[in-house]
Amino acid sequence: MEQPGFFPEQDPLVEDQLPDGTLRIKIIGIGGAGTNAVDRIKLEDLEQVHLTAIDTDSQVLAASPVEETYLLGRTVTNGKSTGGSVSKGQLAAEADSNALREIVRGIDLVFLLAGLGGGTGSGAAPVIAELAKSQGALVIAFTPLPFKREGAGRCERAEKALESLRKHCHAAISLPNDLIFEQVDESATLMEAFATADKWIKLGVHSVWSMLFNTGLINLDFSTLQAALSEPGGRTIFGTGYGKGENSLEAAIKDLESCPLFHLPDPGVIKETDQLVLNLTGGPDMTMATVNKAMDLINEKLGSKSSLIMGASIDGSFYNQLRITIMGTVRGTGITKGFAPVPAASIPPNGPVAPPLKPAELFEAKEALTPSKREQEEFAFPSQEENRGLFERTQRNLYEGIDLDIPTYLRRGIKIPRN
Amino acid sequence: MSRSKIVGAIEIGTSKVVVLVAEMADGRSMNIIGRGQSTAAGMKKGEIVDIRSVSDCAHAAIMAAERDAGKQIEHVYLSLSGSHLWGFRNAGATAITGTDGIVSGTDILRAAENAKSRGLEPGEVYIHHIRSGFILDGKLVENPVAREGSHLEVQYWHVAADEQKVKDQIMVVNGFGLDVNDIVISSLATGSLVATEEEKRQGVLVVDIGKGVTDYVLYKGRRVVQTGVIPVGGDHITNDLSLGLRVKSKLAESLKKRNACAMVQKEDRTKKVPLVGDLSIGDSFHSQLTINKITHARLEELFIILKNRMGSALTRQNLPCGMILTGGVSRTPMIQELAEVTLDVPVALAQSPDWVRNSELQEPEYATVLGLLYNALHDQKENRSDDGNTPKKTWFRKVTGLFG
Repeated sequence: MEQPGFFPEQDPLVEDQLPDGTLRIKIIGIGGAGTNAVDRIKLEDLEQVHLTAIDTDSQVLAASPVEETYLLGRTVTNGKSTGGSVSKGQLAAEADSNALREIVRGIDLVFLLAGLGGGTGSGAAPVIAELAKSQGALVIAFTPLPFKREGAGRCERAEKALESLRKHCHAAISLPNDLIFEQVDESATLMEAFATADKWIKLGVHSVWSMLFNTGLINLDFSTLQAALSEPGGRTIFGTGYGKGENSLEAAIKDLESCPLFHLPDPGVIKETDQLVLNLTGGPDMTMATVNKAMDLINEKLGSKSSLIMGASIDGSFYNQLRITIMGTVRGTGITKGFAPVPAASIPPNGPVAPPLKPAELFEAKEALTPSKREQEEFAFPSQEENRGLFERTQRNLYEGIDLDIPTYLRRGIKIPRN
Repeated sequence: MSRSKIVGAIEIGTSKVVVLVAEMADGRSMNIIGRGQSTAAGMKKGEIVDIRSVSDCAHAAIMAAERDAGKQIEHVYLSLSGSHLWGFRNAGATAITGTDGIVSGTDILRAAENAKSRGLEPGEVYIHHIRSGFILDGKLVENPVAREGSHLEVQYWHVAADEQKVKDQIMVVNGFGLDVNDIVISSLATGSLVATEEEKRQGVLVVDIGKGVTDYVLYKGRRVVQTGVIPVGGDHITNDLSLGLRVKSKLAESLKKRNACAMVQKEDRTKKVPLVGDLSIGDSFHSQLTINKITHARLEELFIILKNRMGSALTRQNLPCGMILTGGVSRTPMIQELAEVTLDVPVALAQSPDWVRNSELQEPEYATVLGLLYNALHDQKENRSDDGNTPKKTWFRKVTGLFG
């Protein structure tokens, strides 16, 4: 609805936030590792993306090729680093909150790149994330986690920081450096190992970027992404895979599985209400069959059907190649949390919990049991068998990873009205 | 009369065992003279789970059929289904060896041997090698004999099964003192009956949704191109209803037959249907919407699986005659509409050919056994020339010999 005069001139903030409809994306590197990653992204020109490097160490910033740099916590650390102190990093960010707010103002999508475990990254990143979120931006954090070898203290700091980042970011994607180390061969130098980590981060940023900016066959836009990540606090799923040649799809899925950013939750954790965004980037030769097959394969992996939103975009240079990117948030952390209470009558108190296949309202015990119902419960079994009824003692009827003997409406989460 | 044979067709299905007895005169005509059936027990999803009760049911049905016919069965044709059946395409190729470059019978045999040579996993046996066409120098030809070329490829659709499960079925028949002449997978038997020659030429998919499983066969250019079994059937709808409404399977089954509809309709929202329907005290009422939603979800999923299995073969272009639905579940109201919406091909309900006069035999339950008899008749007519459509005899001797 048009509301003339609703955005008055006297509010420069709002005016500035209404550009010509294009997305504003900012990649902010925080701390030493984050700045390095941003530097590397700088080398690859992405349209409509602004880069910012933020650190407490003036030396690091001086060496950075990025245009916008900000020395954090001048009053706290005097331009020297935090020395690994998280509280100093946090203090520094809080002291400069006005300037930081300025940096994220009017930005739609903020990528935070921060190496966790150190002072600046662990301390400042959550503060910046919170600021960006309060300014209305969608915040996605890519965070390398330290090597286990770097010491238990550092790992613990990183874990804590990740925890608080999860609270403030729409998506926090962690990248354990240990996994990176497995990927590079033993003779690789430390430089190369860290370069690999940066490469993955770059890839992550790039895949989200191309999801938003490449023309889509089935377009995924910013709003979709926003919807999928709308609630901060959950576990983020992110992965990207690349395949080439005849079996590009299979190769891409294989690559996706080995992606160190990709931590697949257990099937069943993903609920129908969670939204995951799957994007395929292919050449102009991409077929609908490929898209369908990819959907099926991913569905099978995730064990949840209706929660996937698919997009497909075309990149002119991607002939015979395919990139799969999957992203989303799984709300709630526990496996059983949020699922229906198991009907009391059929399960012994300490028995195994039925698989989380049914929405709550389906099986709420009704007071008036007809005689037939009572008999029904006699052959209700705990465990997974419960949903198979008639087929309880037969072989599982697996088709692409789903058991066809379990009622379709349960698997699809279709709500069925009860009397 | 001395040349007539008494042939029995036996289908051990998940819902019932159906036996038809026919008198075949000289391989030219047949009269169906006996019919027997019994409710099957011990079968789930098209497979035997309790061989003793299956045997009892099968023997009762065979006995009833023989009594009905007044004659003893001499030859048995058995249909086979179940999710252990699987098919794959494998082509055999050969170079034409004759100096004149004319394709000879030996060339075809050699190519066929190549195609059939693929080894199976231990514990599996071939049921059928179905020839689906020749490709001579890259061109599809009807009959390559006496044509000129240099490279011959013969396309086969192979059907393999779990040896133990096949043996079990044969053992059930053997237990009655009968040898099994031939085994035909259910989809082929049904397909050969309900699809007309014209439909087979243009391309048609016959889908038999039974109680335990769904069998399908795809015809194109008069040949069988693909067959398969999806381990989902009417029992699944019953089970879904039984779990969803929390009622006994038996009641869910009758409720399904009376009230389940494949599509959700507007008026379902307010409609309630009784569970038992005999006005007895304690009868509960269930929402029509719930029933239809559950049925719809299951059947739609079945069609989607079918669509995924068939791939591009299942499009309006490639399948002008669309799909023919048969089997007990095809009686579900609106299933035709659902299939049309889901698969986007024309869908028809199966009709028995004109020669089936008895109205009871026109019911979908008899399609498979009638198809078996139809195959048996053709078998005798063609005197078992290896047209690729029948399994090798030696194999049966091997298997049946174990019990003989």
